[in-house]
Amino acid sequence: MANETTVAEAAPAKAHGNGHENGHGHHPTGWRRWLFSTNHKDIGTMYIVLSLVAALVGGAMSFLIRLELAEPGIQYNLFWLDNEAAYLQFYNVLVTGHGFIMVFFVVMPAMIGGFGNWFVPLLIGAPDMAFPRMNNISFWLLAASLVLLLIAAFTQGGPGTGWTVYPPLSNAEFHPGAAVDLGILSLHLAGASSVLGAVNFITTIFNMRAPGLVIHRMPLFVWAILVTAFLLLLAIPVLAGALTMLLTDRNFGTAFFDAARGGDPVLWQQLFWFFGHPEVYIIIIPAFGIISQVISTFSKKPIFGYLGMAYAMVFIGFVGFIVWAHHLYTSGLDVDTRAYFVSATLIIAVPTGIKIFSWLATMWGGSIDFRTPMLFACGFIFLFVMGGVTGVALANAGMDIAFHDTYFVVAHFHYVMAIAAVFAMFAGFYYWIGKMSGRQYPRVLARVHFWMFFIGVNVVFFPQHFLGMAGMPRRIPDYPDAYAGWNYVSSVGSYLTTASTLLFFYIIWRTLRSGEKVAANQWGEGATTLEWTVDSPAPFHTHEDLPDMREKQPAE
Amino acid sequence: MASEQTKKHPYHMVEPSPWPAIGTLAAFIMAIGGVWYMKGGTIYLFATGLLILFWVSYRWWRDVVAESRNGVDHTNVVRLGLRMGMVLFIASEVMFFFAFFWAYFHSSMPIFSLVAPESWPPKGVVPLDAWSVPFLNTVILLSSGATVTFAHHALLQGNAKKTARWLLLTVLLGLTFTGFQAYEYVHATFTFTGGIYSSTFYLATGFHGFHVIVGTIFLFVCWRRAKAEHFTPEAHVGFEAAAWYWHFVDVVWLFLFVWVYWWGGSGAVAG
Amino acid sequence: MLRILKLIVLVPVLAALSLMLGTGDVFAAGRAEPWQMWFQPAATPVMERILEFHNLLLIIEVSIVVFVLAIMCYIIFRFNAKSNPVPSKTTHNTLLEVIWTGVPLFILIIIAIPSLKLLYYADKVQDAEMTLKVTGNQWYWNYSYPDHGGFAFDSIIVPNAELKKGQPRLLTVDNPVVLPARTNIRLLLTSADVIHNWAVPAFGVKLDTVGGRINETWVNINKEGDYYGMCSELCGVNHAFMPIHVKAVSKADFAIWVKKAKKDFADVEVPAAAKLAQADAPAVAR
Repeated sequence: MANETTVAEAAPAKAHGNGHENGHGHHPTGWRRWLFSTNHKDIGTMYIVLSLVAALVGGAMSFLIRLELAEPGIQYNLFWLDNEAAYLQFYNVLVTGHGFIMVFFVVMPAMIGGFGNWFVPLLIGAPDMAFPRMNNISFWLLAASLVLLLIAAFTQGGPGTGWTVYPPLSNAEFHPGAAVDLGILSLHLAGASSVLGAVNFITTIFNMRAPGLVIHRMPLFVWAILVTAFLLLLAIPVLAGALTMLLTDRNFGTAFFDAARGGDPVLWQQLFWFFGHPEVYIIIIPAFGIISQVISTFSKKPIFGYLGMAYAMVFIGFVGFIVWAHHLYTSGLDVDTRAYFVSATLIIAVPTGIKIFSWLATMWGGSIDFRTPMLFACGFIFLFVMGGVTGVALANAGMDIAFHDTYFVVAHFHYVMAIAAVFAMFAGFYYWIGKMSGRQYPRVLARVHFWMFFIGVNVVFFPQHFLGMAGMPRRIPDYPDAYAGWNYVSSVGSYLTTASTLLFFYIIWRTLRSGEKVAANQWGEGATTLEWTVDSPAPFHTHEDLPDMREKQPAE
Repeated sequence: MASEQTKKHPYHMVEPSPWPAIGTLAAFIMAIGGVWYMKGGTIYLFATGLLILFWVSYRWWRDVVAESRNGVDHTNVVRLGLRMGMVLFIASEVMFFFAFFWAYFHSSMPIFSLVAPESWPPKGVVPLDAWSVPFLNTVILLSSGATVTFAHHALLQGNAKKTARWLLLTVLLGLTFTGFQAYEYVHATFTFTGGIYSSTFYLATGFHGFHVIVGTIFLFVCWRRAKAEHFTPEAHVGFEAAAWYWHFVDVVWLFLFVWVYWWGGSGAVAG
Repeated sequence: MLRILKLIVLVPVLAALSLMLGTGDVFAAGRAEPWQMWFQPAATPVMERILEFHNLLLIIEVSIVVFVLAIMCYIIFRFNAKSNPVPSKTTHNTLLEVIWTGVPLFILIIIAIPSLKLLYYADKVQDAEMTLKVTGNQWYWNYSYPDHGGFAFDSIIVPNAELKKGQPRLLTVDNPVVLPARTNIRLLLTSADVIHNWAVPAFGVKLDTVGGRINETWVNINKEGDYYGMCSELCGVNHAFMPIHVKAVSKADFAIWVKKAKKDFADVEVPAAAKLAQADAPAVAR
């Protein structure tokens, strides 16, 4: 039976020229190694650590939110707050912080900064990224950004605006003080981090592929990062512009969003969502890439319809730029404008469907090992489809009249982000931890983690569809008594999810401390990409001899 | 490190460097200091952060220049990567201006917004005369685009002195542009806080002006390097980056001139 | 084997569906019931059409999810490493790829046509018989009746401690907005401060209230009764505490109420209609 346990020797590499590296030459140790790093693996590791830390903070925030929502009435106050009004503001800050942290400091750093940095060079046969030093400032800027955001949360009441920061609520009149300004500057730093990172990834992928590795044969995870990088490059600056306008409105007397002086609050929404919609594809497209790698490996088959998969991602990325106003359906847009956005938004379902079916077709006829990464990948497919179909419902502006700003929307985006994207992150973790650390995860505990998390998140978010249909709005700390039942169920789910996350941290610790050592290729014949030709853990420098990919079988 | 022995690949394995971390510290100090200043405090913390940022930029790019001249690190493919990176960066800058143009059109054209005023400029606003200083500035910038191109031709011919002269002229034209813009700002009848016309005008032209200053500094550095004969006909990435950046700045100005100064000042939106 | 599997999946799904669809009539109109798994019953023609459209969407959604689940279950049983030790090398099938591009596209068109019809129907009414102006404030609503002499009143939440028996918590206001049933009513919405959103689920109405502009929609309430909604755009600390209570009465009762309201609310100031600012007015002092 193929690859039940770790393989003793490296599987014969189809490409020659690497696997001998033992990290010759010296590299700095101690704190300088990390602060001054120009190594894509070390920087990737730092991103993953940041993501884990932020996950604890963002998860704690959602735990507090669910604690409050478990029962009708206002249950909680926190010891440093003077009165209920201060707590209500802090609740809004929790909602805001939870959103920012999960999007910008958990999912993006893990998949793009973490797995992207670690594995794009490995997958294309490059010794590092195109701009190794700039890579480091991308990381440290993100760390500084997180610090600024946390400072903002505790400054003068904090930003209680939602992650969407709509004026006039976010303007100086309704959020005096420094909290929103600190939040704006935090996002500026994070944005700079991402734009520089995008430049780095695009240049690396275009310029540093190993000899013979043409674009149409590179792994789908690399395609995913390439498309994501273009989205970042073009969307983040628009957010930066909008943030700057909000900053000057708040502090320097401009009138961009001030109706009394000729401005328009809806302008903010347009600019924000022009960034915001590509942002959600930035979240999910790397996940698509990871899933393709995992499914192919564990089905022991190449991905079905490789070109279709690659160009589906390109198409999604491109069309993702022209659908933003489906987030503005109830803001007072002209009806013909809404009609256009309905049509454009629906179109995205086609390439997405192609991907789902292609993954199923990859598995069909395969010889599938349901190891933990594969469990998460299968979970991804099913749960992403569930989240996706509610997205199709929301795409319709007429339907959105009923759903906008209700828990139905919350359920939708948590299914596709908090469930599907996070499943992809876990799949990537379990798939690649052996390569990154040299040690394997504890197999039984990992399966327990999968099932706990799977059940937990479904218990949290499935009832939220009911709450939304019944009319419960978003971003409220208390609700009419009729909504108590499903809210209680949802909160119980969050306790299970929290417990499973704690288990996951224990699994990480167990893996790093005493996990079984693994060989270069721990997954067997299905693992055909370049990272499986280097030692585990991957040496400090890899691909110092560029692999020759010219005689490699085509990916198709 | 790989550079101590023969690299078997043409890529640049950059040595560990403190500049990213210190640069981040500078950005963080600027953020805290900026908020401090905006909420009524002094500007010194922000200024400190800014000075550190200037110093980090100087040291970082000084390192890049040194690496470009050590004969090992900047191979052809590395230079290609640097050029690619610069193009991508400029693309992101285009999108930054895209946001300000969007704000401008949203605010000025009724078809885009329910609240755009009936006329543009709005009643009571006296716009700058597009065909006075703005037109002169257009000529200046277009000329500077030509002078930097002449500098490039001289460089390709290997004539360092001529390259330097044309670069200096470009820098002087850039400084002149900035001077005239400053003059206009001081003499405009609409102030910064004067409402939506002022907001869109000053932010769009202001960020452009900031980019002109950055570009001028970049060209100034290239002038010094040209005089020191850093550039060769085969290898002059820094010059190309500066020239492309300058052309980008020029194109943004053309859009500003046509849409903000000319169209925006003409009362074209029917009152 | 496969048939049993399909049964195990389909039966609970269909049961849940019928539970959700069927129980609509059991609920009282106007607000949510405990453990509700479905929309509130429709009280306007717009909401009726929304519900109809949603039935179409749900059938498509559930079919897709069940279809994918069924394929995955089959894959898990048929193609696990034990059952299928030798993987195939198939990576292409043009016919399949054409089908799974074309069929979704076709389904999307089936969705788009009624969707756009619904959108245009819900947007505006041609022949309104009266107008209600709604102004959002932190944290209450103000309603004015421009066609009935222009009187206005605030509608503020009743705190929990002051609720009378039977009054729903977080939904009760001091002055509900009274409207005539079976009448085409134009709604004009604006805000006096931040963005709010006026929403009544049973009506199929939800629209932002934005300072500086007037957003328009319409409603025609089928039947007399009490209908509730909540502010649907984050507007500050008391966002959860500015409910909407619409009391729909017969045309005759409405006329009586108007007479009384004019007297009762005679000294309530009508909020200044949101002015589109003179751009470049003198700067606000900061």
